[in-house]
Formats: sequence, structure tokens, C-alpha cells
Amino acid sequence: MTTALPTKVQPGADENEQACGGPLLLLIGSGLLWLVLGSALALLNLIQIYTPAFLADCAWFTYGRLQAMQETALLYGWAGNAGLAVALWVLSRLGGAPLRGTNYIVAGGLFWNLGVTLALVGIAAGDAAGHAAFQLPRYVQPLLLFSFAAIAVPGVLAWTGRRNASTYAGQWYAVAALFLFPWFFSVASVMLTFAPVRGTLQAVIATWYAQNLFSLWLAPVALAAVYYLLPKLTGRVIPNYDFAVYGFWSLLFFGCWLGGRHLIGAPVPAWVSTMAIANAWVVLFHHIIVFFNVRDLFRSGSGTVMRFLAVGTGAYLLSAVVDTAFSARALAVVTQFTYFQQAQGQLALGAVALILTGSIYYMTPRLAGGVWPSVGLIRGHFLAFAIGFVLLVASLAVAGWIQGSALNDPAVSFAQISERTKVWLQLATAAQAMLLAAHAVFALHFAKFIVGQMAKCCAARPLLAAEVTVS
Amino acid sequence: MKNGPLFFLGLFSALGISWAGLVIGINTQLGGLSPYFDEAQEAAFPARIPGIAEQGLRVYRDLGCASCHTQQVRRPGFGADQARGWGERQSVARDYIYQSQPQLGTMRIGPDLANYGTRAEEAGRTPAAVLADLYNGHAGMPAYRFLFAQRKLDGEPSAKALVGGAPAGYELVPTARAEALVAYLLSLKQSYDLPEAMPYEPADSTKEAAQ
Repeated sequence: MTTALPTKVQPGADENEQACGGPLLLLIGSGLLWLVLGSALALLNLIQIYTPAFLADCAWFTYGRLQAMQETALLYGWAGNAGLAVALWVLSRLGGAPLRGTNYIVAGGLFWNLGVTLALVGIAAGDAAGHAAFQLPRYVQPLLLFSFAAIAVPGVLAWTGRRNASTYAGQWYAVAALFLFPWFFSVASVMLTFAPVRGTLQAVIATWYAQNLFSLWLAPVALAAVYYLLPKLTGRVIPNYDFAVYGFWSLLFFGCWLGGRHLIGAPVPAWVSTMAIANAWVVLFHHIIVFFNVRDLFRSGSGTVMRFLAVGTGAYLLSAVVDTAFSARALAVVTQFTYFQQAQGQLALGAVALILTGSIYYMTPRLAGGVWPSVGLIRGHFLAFAIGFVLLVASLAVAGWIQGSALNDPAVSFAQISERTKVWLQLATAAQAMLLAAHAVFALHFAKFIVGQMAKCCAARPLLAAEVTVS
Repeated sequence: MKNGPLFFLGLFSALGISWAGLVIGINTQLGGLSPYFDEAQEAAFPARIPGIAEQGLRVYRDLGCASCHTQQVRRPGFGADQARGWGERQSVARDYIYQSQPQLGTMRIGPDLANYGTRAEEAGRTPAAVLADLYNGHAGMPAYRFLFAQRKLDGEPSAKALVGGAPAGYELVPTARAEALVAYLLSLKQSYDLPEAMPYEPADSTKEAAQ
């Protein structure tokens, strides 16, 4: 196939993008491996809910451990790797210079993935830390902290060495994510693992951490991508951009208070959950501004990347509304401790995953050169992802509502509850299977693309992506 | 936003305020909690946790039991926790002061366990019965057979051996982990009264009106 290659480099090729290609592709590739593995574990985990005997004899895959493993693989393996790649890329693009110190990404990336692997093995062997979203065994925590810091170094350099003194919304969100994660991660590590605080204060710290993981790391990374990509894709400036700065600070200042939503009625001071409920309303201000800024996403007639971003951002906004509504005590009394909360979690994490996926589809050709081998596979992935995602969230929400209403009726036994929710959980399993298939297609497509580019690279001069950039 | 240091000061304070508010705020309220001495019973509550139960807490954590079971009773009127017999009163922070890692939990696929020990005591369930439950599992809960070991009978059978389940010439015994887990489960009791957990009773308005 070498004859089909153009003999000279295409005009307009941007060296910024290729200069940092390899290390970022390493992060994306390992993120995709974790995505497939995490989705597969999540599938097994869902089956276990209504078939308790499934894998029960194997200590490594008992329900509680498997749940911690799939959560860790998806949060730290997939979203961690992909989020870092997207944040660094946005910072490099908006900084107007290639990433410097990319060796830090390679070294940090290898240790980060080693850390996640160790974490999964550790959890399977029984070393989980035992807090939702913070199951990492104690020996993995410092490793992840230092590898994250190493990977973030080029991001800091891109920020300090930016060409323009003034900054863009994409940069604020990306820098905030890179800067804040190590801080709240180390706080949680010290206060929960190495010098644990007393009694139920641990539960407060754990929910604070889990909320920060979303509000100060995953959501800002996703928003950085949206704020950067949207004007690129539409060719239009962001409307009401002056307000973006208020949206940014309102997420940062109020978002980290929302963890207490999960502690309604818990043995902690009642003001913790009251603060969370009140702040959930305040944070909606952030979501309203984001909606007005990115409303161009929701116009029809756009490419697949736009569709990923649109569904993802739509889910992000919807998730805020749902979280706020269901943090009210009158509704929380039904949904607390049920699958409904898992549906809320899936809605928020799926939103981020959709945005990260869309960004990867946009970034990869610009990092590796060339074009995606198949447009059909991308469209198919989008359809399967979107349908699986909606189905998963909806079926878990229905199962949760049935479960919650039944739990509040003491006449209904647990056997009856599992009977009533079974069909919905089976539907959720089907949705999860669909998501697994979609992600596997994504990962294989990515692998084919990269392998193809590497083969071309060895055969001839690399084909550079043709794109004219302004920022 | 052009001012880099101001930007970082903003990031710093956003996280710092929430951390300080939650941690310092709660520490002021709960940091000094001590056991409550009940004069009627002449004992202090909550009781200290025996060492084997503390080991059991680690087994409970490492198996992820908290992904199906909570250990927090909500106040009467908020949910059906009392009606389901999970506890007479709501759980309060003082109940957990001796637990190295309270397992409050986030899901109720199974029942709440904050008072499992109390319930087992009232129903007269022995540790052996709880062990048998762990070994058998049931419709909603997986069996935890890997917490048990089958070993060759050597002389007298062990007093701890489970009845049935092992072929002739062998016996089925709980591992140390299983025994610790059961000791932990049976130690879960919030059956004592604490002043802050008393249900709120509104002042009798008729009496006030009469005065």
C-alpha cells in the first residue's frame, strides 16, 4: 500500500501536534484497555446481583471486590489516562506550543498504569481501602500520586510557557483539574489511610473525595475538551463567553460541597447534608452558564465528534438536574441506598466518558497523522454507546425506584425486592453488554489505526494531519 | 484571566474552604465525643470492640460487604428502618467512636447490619448458625465458601466443624477469617440509649395552653 502514499508532506501540517503524539497516544491506548477491562468486570458484577452464586466460590471475584475493581479500572484506568491525555492536549493546543518534557508523560504513564494494575490485583487479594471511589490499596496511593504529578509536569510547562498572557476557558478547566487532583487525592490518602480520622468523619472525607473526583477532576477535564473543541468544530465563537469565568468559579467553589448528598440521615452532623443540598442548587448556576456557552452543540447537522460531545454534555447537564432534584430529602428517602444512585453515578460518569471519547476521535488523527480507518465503525460506536448508555441509566433508575419504594414498605421482603427488580437489572446487564461491545470496537479501531500508522511510518515519511489552527 | 498567581490562589481557596469547613467544622462537633455513661445500667456505651471483632472488620472491608449492606439506621419517620427491625433509634456518631473504619455503606441490596448482633442475640442465634449462613448463602446473598476449609479428619473432629458439607473422613472448618467476621457481625449492637439519639418529642401544646 505504500504506493498510495503522497510523495510530499501535506501543506498546513502542524508540528505542534505530532511533537507530542507518542506519549499522549500511550495514555489514550492504555486508557482504552482499562475501559474494555472495566466494562467487562462491570458486566460480570451486574450479573452477580441477581445470580449471587455466579463466581461466588472465587474469592478474587466475590461481589464486593469485583465492584471495587471495576470502579477502580474505570475511574483511574480509563478516565485517569484518557483525562490526562485530553487535559494535556488542550493545554498544549491553547498554549500555542508543543508540549515540553514529554518524557515525564511516558515515565509517569508507565507508573500510573503499573499503579492501577497493582490496585486491581490488590483489591482482588483483599487490600481495598474500603471507601466508594477510593478503593486503592495503601501501597498504591503514593505511586499514583507521584505518577500523576509527573504526567502533569508538561501541562504546567504548557501553562507557564503559553504564548498569550490571557487564557481561555479550556485552559482554566484543564489546569484546575491537573492542579487540584494531587491535592485532594493526597488529603484523602492521609486522612483515610495513613493517619485515619476518627469515626464517621471518615465517611465525610470519603464522600468529599468522591465528589471532588467528579467536580474537580472529571468534569473540568470534560469541560476543557468541550470549550476547546466546540469553536473548532463549528467555526463560531462561544456565545456569552464573558460569563464562562463565573461558570468556572461557581463549579470550583460550590461543587466540592456536594458530597454530603450521600450522607442524608447518616450518623454525621445534619448540616453536612443540608449544605450539600443547598449547594446543589447553587452549582446549577454553573450548569446554566455552560448550557448557554455550548448551546451550539445541540444544533442538528454535525459530525460524529459533535454528536459525542452533544450527548455527553447533555448528559452532564441532565445529571446535575437529577442530582439536585433527588438530593431533596423527600425524594432521597426513596432513592438512597438503591440502584437509583448507581444510575445517577452512571449518568455522570457516562457523560464524561462520551466527551472523552469524542475528544479522542478528534485528537488521535492529529497526534498520529492520517485518518481513522473506518467512518462506519465510529458511527456504529456512537450508536451503540449512546443506546447502551441511555438504556443502562434508565433501567438502573427504574430498578432503583422499585427497590427504594419497596424498602420503605416493611411488608415487602428482600426476596420480593430482588424478584421485582430482576428484570430491570437484566435489562441493565444487556445495556452493559452493549457498552462493552461498543468499547471493544473502539479499542480495536484505535489499535488498527495506530498499528497502520506505525507501519506507514516505517515504510515512508509520516503522513501529517492537515489542519489549519488559529489558537 | 491574566493573573496567574491570583488564579492559583482561587483554586487553592476553592478546595481549601470546603476542606476546612467540613473537617474543622465536624472535628469541633465530634472530635471530643466520649462514651456515654448510663447511670441506670452502670456501664459506658458504646462498648469497646474486642480484638477479634476488629480483625473481622478488616475481613468485612476486604470482601466489600459494604457494597450490599449499610450500617446506619435512619431516624424514625425517615424510611422504614425501625419498621424493618433494624434498630429502635437512629445511629449517631457516638456509636462509631471505637470503630477503626465505620462501614456505613452506600447500598441496601441486603438488610442493614448496624444492629446485627442485637438481632442475633434476641433470636438466639449462635456463632455456629451465623457461620452456617455464611457457608450456605441464600437467594439474595452469595455463599462465602472460600472462608471455610475442608480438612482430613485426624482423630477427634473439631468442635467448630460444620455439620454436613464434608465427605466422610473429612471435616469442614471455618478459617480464622470466617470466625473473626462472625465475631465482628455479632459485636454490632446499638441497643443502648444515647441522649442525642432520643427521638424528638414536641412539647405538649395542650399542657402549655392550660398554663
